[in-house]
Amino acid sequence: MRQALTLLIALGAVLALSLTACKKEENSAGTSGVTDDTVKIGLFVSTTGAYATFGTDTKNGVDLAVEEINATGGIKGKKIDLKFQDTASKPEEGGSAAEKLATQENVLVAMGAVASGISLSAAPVFQRSGIPMVSPSSTNPTVTQQGDQIFRICFLDDFQGASCAVFARKDLKKEKAAILMNQDDAYSTGLAKFFKAKFEALGGTIVKEESFKKDTSEFNTQITNIKNAAPDIIFVPAYYNDVALIGKQFRSQGVDVPLLGGDGWESGKLIPNAGPGTLDGCYFGNHYSQADDREVVKNFVANYKKKYGEAPSSLAALGYDDVYVVKKAIENAGAFDRAKIREALAGLKDFEGVTGKFSIDENRNARKPISMLKIEGEKFNLVRQIQPEEVE
Amino acid sequence: MLPLLETEATHVSAQLILQQVANGIAKGSVYALIAVGYTMVYGVLQLINFAHGEVYMLGAYFSYYPAKWFGYVPESGEKPKVPLYIIGALFVGSMAACAAIGMLIERLAYRPLRNSSRLAALITAIGVSLFLQNAGQMVFGADPKGFPVFMDQHSVSLGPIELANTKLVIIVVAAVMMTGLHLFVQKTKPGAAMRACSFDMRTARLMGVNVDRTVAMTFALGSAMAAVGGVLVAMDQPRLTPLMGLLMGLKAFIAAVLGGIGSIPGAALGGLLLGVAESVVGTWSTTYAEAVAFIVLILVLLVKPSGLLGKSGREKV
Repeated sequence: MRQALTLLIALGAVLALSLTACKKEENSAGTSGVTDDTVKIGLFVSTTGAYATFGTDTKNGVDLAVEEINATGGIKGKKIDLKFQDTASKPEEGGSAAEKLATQENVLVAMGAVASGISLSAAPVFQRSGIPMVSPSSTNPTVTQQGDQIFRICFLDDFQGASCAVFARKDLKKEKAAILMNQDDAYSTGLAKFFKAKFEALGGTIVKEESFKKDTSEFNTQITNIKNAAPDIIFVPAYYNDVALIGKQFRSQGVDVPLLGGDGWESGKLIPNAGPGTLDGCYFGNHYSQADDREVVKNFVANYKKKYGEAPSSLAALGYDDVYVVKKAIENAGAFDRAKIREALAGLKDFEGVTGKFSIDENRNARKPISMLKIEGEKFNLVRQIQPEEVE
Repeated sequence: MLPLLETEATHVSAQLILQQVANGIAKGSVYALIAVGYTMVYGVLQLINFAHGEVYMLGAYFSYYPAKWFGYVPESGEKPKVPLYIIGALFVGSMAACAAIGMLIERLAYRPLRNSSRLAALITAIGVSLFLQNAGQMVFGADPKGFPVFMDQHSVSLGPIELANTKLVIIVVAAVMMTGLHLFVQKTKPGAAMRACSFDMRTARLMGVNVDRTVAMTFALGSAMAAVGGVLVAMDQPRLTPLMGLLMGLKAFIAAVLGGIGSIPGAALGGLLLGVAESVVGTWSTTYAEAVAFIVLILVLLVKPSGLLGKSGREKV
């Protein structure tokens, strides 16, 4: 009897709460996700699981931007009310996070995710709900093909691979390249394919293509084969923990030609894991450079270091830019209206972000430069930026 | 996608093959160190200890934490100067810890099932393996750890071939350990007890051999050898993950079967052959190296089902 009573009271309380919640929504200013002084923006990234570091960095960048915007008057006078969902590094969580953000939270715009698999499972939900989704860093080409509500602000793997080839041929004047890729990873094989095509189109030769399996830590067989082919540059489109081992093993077999790679190299752990000096004189392409002397980059790097006590990664920079892109789109739209914001995103031109000056193209992808960095000691120094026109 | 078939064939010289054989010997030495653990336990208990790969993983981690605590970080350009006794202490510490873990696994998981069906013990072994993998992810974290630089890596020329100094260390240490183990089993009294248990456990008990202690010692020795492999690999290929024992354990098991499970020289031979086969086939195609190496193994076992040095006529799982 007593139990039943408690249950009833609890039920009543829940009902009362949900009723007041509904009432509050009705009172709000007509448009979705917007009240008199706040605007709800969704964020879904993985802060737990295998991609946790990527998601945490992204969220740190987003939080910093939200803090800055709210401290300086918000977006058109309304403060950002960030609604965060953790997608736990599981693709299926992308869909349920999107459902929560779209129906329960009723956000005006959504930002996410890092992993393309998660973006792909979330995109149909936002497309159906008519909510613009802006991914900070999903590089798989199919993500923005899910519908006209889906945008991204990072470059794609085809551009990245081709840019590395342009850099190797034109800037470094290399003629014979070898490739060492992870055969189980679409990112790695994709970059290798686009690098090869461009390098050969520019008159270079690929003297050897080698691959390794996921979780391999012994590369001597491949390295011996590459050494035998005598390349003058070696393209290694892999993630930093593989690159650290590969670099070490190349050097310990007496191969000292430069290695070249993509954004997967970027990590504070690359140099400590590879050992001091191992990767000196190697190059990789990245979304931004901390050494960029534009005002927006300097401020971002300084504020990020002050808040989190460490240098911001590319993912943090992309998360930071993502919030400002959304702000800019709402301001350009002139109203808190999803359809108008979508139009504004599609027509975004010459946005001055931390990750470069960029526009959104007709496929809702960012058209932006890549920063080629050189490893010198513990530092990643900017050599130059390659613009999209140079690669096409 | 067959990326390797698209490029022009590079000239395969005798020197290249020789270099790949040397690479394979380095790789195979580690397989051999781990394969002896499988082979010894199988010899005594007819049990395939699937958790053995995880003991190797633990061996690497047991040296990682003291190494990190020792905290040596060389400056850029400076050569690491770590005294040999510290490196030696890392090996001994990790071996002792792994030997203890090996005995603990035997005491808790396998001894209660010693008189049950073999299938029960086999399934328990798989369970222990999964338990250790997941416990490793919880305790150590799933992210890869980089081992501190303790040895300056550089290449050493040996006539026509070049090998990293760390690979030479692997080959030498593995050879010394394997020879030591072989002598221990053949020449000492506890070694004789082990061989006696392997022939016939009940008769050995009747002859006054302490079977429980001998089995525990078998696990301790095998685990200590796996620990040596773990530390060597951690120093040469500094990336530690809780799942690193999975593939290594599988390869070592195959090496043990190839050499003749139950035979210690067989495990050494099997490990070296597997490593060399992988590397030499890799000269033409690294994509198919493992597949071709395994086909070779199947062919060997078709001709000689008990393995290269195995005794024929014994019952197998």
